[in-house]
Amino acid sequence: MKKKTNTLLILSLIVGLAFHGSAIFFTLESTYDALIHLFFADHYADSWFDPWEYRWYTGFTVQSYPPLVHQVIGILSYIGGLKFGMYTVALIAIVLFITGVYRYTLLMTGSRRIAGYGSVLAVFSSTFVETLHIFGQLPSITALSILLHSMTEIYLWIKTGKIRYYFTTVSMLAVTVTSHHVTPIFGMVFFIAPLMGMAVMDAARERVNSYKELTFKVFINTTIKHVKRIAIFGFSGIFLIVFCIFPYWYNSKRNPITQVAIPHGSRDNFLEITSSGLVFFVIPWGILLFVMPYFFYRFFSKRYIFFGLSFALLTILGTGGTTPIPLLMLGDAAFNILTLDRFTLWATVMALPIFAEFAYRMVEGDIKVLIQEKFGGVFHRVLGGLVAGGMLFMVLFTMTLGYFRPSQPAKINMLPIVNFLGADSHDSWRYLPLGFGDQMAWLSAQTTAMTVDGNYHSARRLPELTTRAIERIENSKFRGVEGIGSLQQFLTVPEKYNLKYIFSNDKFYDPILYYCGWQRLQQLENGIMVWEKLNVPPIPQIMPKEDVPTIMKIMWGIIPISTVLIAFFINIQLIWVRLLKSKKIEPPSFMKLELPYNKFPKKLLYISFVWAFMLLLCLGYGIYLFYVKNVAQYSANNVVEAYYDALDFKEFSTAHSYLDPESNVDIAQYMLEVSVTDGILSSYAKLDSLGIEIYDETPTSAKAKVVTRWITPLESIYSNDYHELVKRKSKWYIKPSKFDNDIPPDQLFTANGTTFYNHGRRKITTQQTYHEDVLKQPVLEILSAKLVKNRGQYSIIGEIQNVDNVPADVVIKATLYNGMNKELANYNAKYHMKHKLMPKETTAFKINFEGIAWSSTKDTLPPTFDPDQFTPVDFDEQPTKFNIQSAGNTANTDLYKHVALQDLEYTNQGFNGVLFNSGVQEVTIPQLIVSYYNKEHELLWVDHKFIPEGVRIQRKQFFNYKPTQLDSLEVINTSLKNCFVNGLPNAAISDKIFPNRDFTHSFDQTQPFKGVGFDYLKFEINSYIGNPK
Amino acid sequence: MYKKLIILYILFALGCSSKKEEAPRTVPIKASLVTQKTNYKAGDSIRLVFTADQQSENIKLHIKNAFGTLLLPYQKQNDQIVFTLPTNFTRKAGLCFWKLIQENETLLKGNIDIIPMTEKGTNMETYFGPRSITAGDNDYSMLVIAPTDVYDNTVSNSTEVTIKTQFLEKISDIKVATNNLMAWYNVRSPRKSGRVLVTALCNGTTSNELTTIVFPANSTDFKIDAIMDHDFADGNQIIKFKSDKIKDEFGNVVSDGTLVTFMIKNQKDAYLYTVGTTIDGVVEARTLHPAAAAEWNIQAYITGASKSNAINVSFKTAIADYEIYFSKGNRNLDIGPLKSFMKQLVPDGILVQLDIYSSTGEFIETKKTTTKKGVSNIFLSPEYLPDGTYKFIIEAVGIKKEIIKEINGG
Repeated sequence: MKKKTNTLLILSLIVGLAFHGSAIFFTLESTYDALIHLFFADHYADSWFDPWEYRWYTGFTVQSYPPLVHQVIGILSYIGGLKFGMYTVALIAIVLFITGVYRYTLLMTGSRRIAGYGSVLAVFSSTFVETLHIFGQLPSITALSILLHSMTEIYLWIKTGKIRYYFTTVSMLAVTVTSHHVTPIFGMVFFIAPLMGMAVMDAARERVNSYKELTFKVFINTTIKHVKRIAIFGFSGIFLIVFCIFPYWYNSKRNPITQVAIPHGSRDNFLEITSSGLVFFVIPWGILLFVMPYFFYRFFSKRYIFFGLSFALLTILGTGGTTPIPLLMLGDAAFNILTLDRFTLWATVMALPIFAEFAYRMVEGDIKVLIQEKFGGVFHRVLGGLVAGGMLFMVLFTMTLGYFRPSQPAKINMLPIVNFLGADSHDSWRYLPLGFGDQMAWLSAQTTAMTVDGNYHSARRLPELTTRAIERIENSKFRGVEGIGSLQQFLTVPEKYNLKYIFSNDKFYDPILYYCGWQRLQQLENGIMVWEKLNVPPIPQIMPKEDVPTIMKIMWGIIPISTVLIAFFINIQLIWVRLLKSKKIEPPSFMKLELPYNKFPKKLLYISFVWAFMLLLCLGYGIYLFYVKNVAQYSANNVVEAYYDALDFKEFSTAHSYLDPESNVDIAQYMLEVSVTDGILSSYAKLDSLGIEIYDETPTSAKAKVVTRWITPLESIYSNDYHELVKRKSKWYIKPSKFDNDIPPDQLFTANGTTFYNHGRRKITTQQTYHEDVLKQPVLEILSAKLVKNRGQYSIIGEIQNVDNVPADVVIKATLYNGMNKELANYNAKYHMKHKLMPKETTAFKINFEGIAWSSTKDTLPPTFDPDQFTPVDFDEQPTKFNIQSAGNTANTDLYKHVALQDLEYTNQGFNGVLFNSGVQEVTIPQLIVSYYNKEHELLWVDHKFIPEGVRIQRKQFFNYKPTQLDSLEVINTSLKNCFVNGLPNAAISDKIFPNRDFTHSFDQTQPFKGVGFDYLKFEINSYIGNPK
Repeated sequence: MYKKLIILYILFALGCSSKKEEAPRTVPIKASLVTQKTNYKAGDSIRLVFTADQQSENIKLHIKNAFGTLLLPYQKQNDQIVFTLPTNFTRKAGLCFWKLIQENETLLKGNIDIIPMTEKGTNMETYFGPRSITAGDNDYSMLVIAPTDVYDNTVSNSTEVTIKTQFLEKISDIKVATNNLMAWYNVRSPRKSGRVLVTALCNGTTSNELTTIVFPANSTDFKIDAIMDHDFADGNQIIKFKSDKIKDEFGNVVSDGTLVTFMIKNQKDAYLYTVGTTIDGVVEARTLHPAAAAEWNIQAYITGASKSNAINVSFKTAIADYEIYFSKGNRNLDIGPLKSFMKQLVPDGILVQLDIYSSTGEFIETKKTTTKKGVSNIFLSPEYLPDGTYKFIIEAVGIKKEIIKEINGG
């Protein structure tokens, strides 16, 4: 018989390449992982043998991820650039996957027809679509595809023992190992072990006449016969896994992963967190869910029994935290390190041959006959249409998920940033992107500049990162206060990592940048705002590096590509023969095991129908629940929730539609009123939790107390709001709150002010800045400084004045010592001070000594993110002395001072005050810095408060401040002895610049107030302007 | 066992048997220096010529100066041994030590003195700082000049450097001498603010222009005044505070941008404030009129340096009284019209607060609203406030009113 070309396979290859091949150009770059692989590829393209990569995390080793795919992209990048390399590899992966599934199906079923079905289903498998187009896991797909290819060879080696198959097996396994380490390790357990079982089973079957005669005894006997081959293969496999990526294991041993686990959606309870359920369960399984009974029926037949066990195990492990079983099976450690979605991926791929078999029987086999017999031809066609339609729907749904619910910020044009970093030695400092998503990897790949962040969280090295469950600082706002806390540490002490530039693609972070003392430098053409920090030294010329033995470098550089070449040469003859049918070859033994498929069990058909019906019921109920929960005006509770949701996402027209139509607030008016309210809540907050309490409910009305917690970049804000609700025509509405009618007195007014400009370099040169162009550092004077202990926590407080004639940017760093002059801790002033001071302006400051959160293992992670999570440094010894190093640098931005304290009154609720903005800039977030003094006007404590609403021009803003109680405050040391300004002793400056200082001036500016532990107060105002004009 | 021993023995024997060449004893060579010149200028070519009673390739010249250390190889010329010093060494001013050596023995030693080559021109590094100083008698900027010859050797001690400084109309010359690399001069700050330019001249080479800014010294006490359009407490108009020209003790106007804090103490002993920054010595700050009658005492500070006179401003009541009208079963409250000092309607946005208490005095709710066209309106809808008797406390423009009303119907 002449072998014909399998048309279904050719068809699926053409369709697969056309469909996936064109779609990747729109999806791959916005996937989670693809750009990370691109960055690694750039590393190899740049320095093939040196594994040390300086650009992320202050340096990490690329030997922490198997290199093959990256190296291939790196080589291809010499032809057409990095992205060309990535797309080429993706196309290769598509071909490998389709052919891999074909060969795996052929092995499993022995039928070329069914294998053809398998290849078609592989193209439209939602799990493949998701892995490629949403996750972008190129190495994982490549490794899995090659593993599928190698399965036939493994089977034949076990079965026949021909040495040729041993070499093909080993060569392919080596490629798998070097592309992805997890795939072969778990593949050995979940794919290869059952495969060997099946091979032995088949061999045993050949010794008897029917499966009935195949007893356990026969099986054991056959196993013993094959044990040598199994052992040879097993040892070879283990050897390959260890040897081919030996530097990886060497590195894992040297740098064990000790970091806090990052929460991953695949570990969630899918019933509770439905979005995770969708992404990690519903999408990968897709239409396969309906065929579940058939899978179990087929997999638990004698031949597939081992696959059945493996399949069941994978299915259960893939359910994540929905059931406690995966946690029990894997144990705590493995459960929290592994991402469980890969189990679902393997389960769905494992099921493909069986699904192909089902499809075959459905389209042209016994199921068709049975259904047509029982229910008629129309029903069969409808059913077929539904299955095919469902499958197509899942593919389209998955493919467009990223379009309708973007998981990444819009594509950023990196060129202006790359140019900025390249110009004027900006790459002598580290930078940090904010709000870039996974595109940060693409930025890193294009520049030689270094960042403190990175996108490969297993390689995180900085304690600020590894001790917290955040994958990147770049997207810290999505990690709640924990993320923001980590970001704040980098922003407060940027000189620790020579961090000078921040590229902000998300204005959410702007307030924290301002209050940590950063300033806007310029807006690039692509809309990215560049922030800079003064007084940060450049990166030293010599940087630490963890070197590895040369042999490791050589192994890493040579083995992976060699495995591909070797595999290619070993297999090329086979491929050639198989593809072109140039020579007749003996069909492999498994081809004889094709089943006749002539009677489909009726019972199974009914069970399948019942199962499908139950699934549909669950689906329907889910949709119903979703409807009831989410239809905005269905209940009083829903309307409030919907209203706040709309506000959170700034969908003001939607929010307006929930307002009582009889209150006569038209949309234009509403938008106008909303647009004029600015402030941290309306512009920089993310709604974190919403508690709604409905009371005084009548059939047509209700009141709602809404307790909201907003995550802002500065701290979390609790807000209580009261709303009146009404029901009109079976819909609930919110009554609009009244707006402030205040009008300022002047339509047009003038204001004069001094502005400053700093040329930077006056000469255009690539040399170091000329001596003449270096500005003198403005002179500051520390007026007082104290080490205090309040509520068990040490702080340094004090006052500092800009005694120069130019505005100053002020950085204050304090170090604590014990009695023996041993350094205990150091930290910078965060937002308890005004960082920009006009000439002769003073500010109070406070430095809290923040430790790196949860750094010692005995601290348990808090179960929920605590809003104002602050980890004080653990002091083994009592700090008794301190040292303050302050530095001034000429400032020329953020010098707006025109907010006045217009009224102040003490009531039982604390101080009620009024701020008034007398200038020409709209203050987005005002901050009060409150200092406390004792009877002798000595500073005791410094406190702060961010006012949630902004102060508009010529308008008032009310605030309330409750003074704190200083009953446990203890002053440990008051001294100006070890205070330094720009490296010079403070006393000398004081003597020279202000020999006749009049201290009564400060006294005259304090508010007498008898509080607990203090006698005077002073209010200072620091204002953040969101949009400087 | 024997085999092993034999192998070990053979190895041992092989190790011992290799012969060592013994070096012949050298007879000490007698050498003498031919070159007599020991003083050179930087950049001159330097050759050291020796004669010796026997020639040997082992004779080398070891030289050492500020540039480094070097062994020069043996070179024979007409029975003499000649060493030419490389330019790196000849261009370096200072002492250059030499030793004629053979194997490890020094045959002769001596030194050469190289002086800077000033004839070919002088280069100059100048540093001037700090770049800004304070007017008065105790601040200064230092000018440091490091002249060098063309080979970057510092010029000899006591080389004369002329420094010129310019301030206002006066240009002065000062002569200083270098000492250990450099010359320096302190430019004392004048009592007037302005800009000092300096330059230096050495061996005919001039430096570029360097500058320091003389900033005014600390301010002295000043005077302030309040400017307002009327003296009613309407909570809407802006009051301005302005100073006279603020100067330092030498009559210089304080630098632009100096921050001045205006402390306002009101009759309730609340410390309010507003700030301004100076332009040409004059500072202006603004704040809003209070909403109720008030006595303000204002004094301005440049903290630590100076303060102003204290002034008093009193604000008269703008709104004497207002009416409250109840309607719709006492559920609708119209507060106002609020009329200002000329019986005009107040500008929009006056805060009105209503506290509702039950008849037994329990607090129920606070409602806040602002006026529009002189009035503000609050409706207490029956869904939220059932019929009954309530106590209302209304507060606006500092006037509190307490009313007990019975609510019925809607």
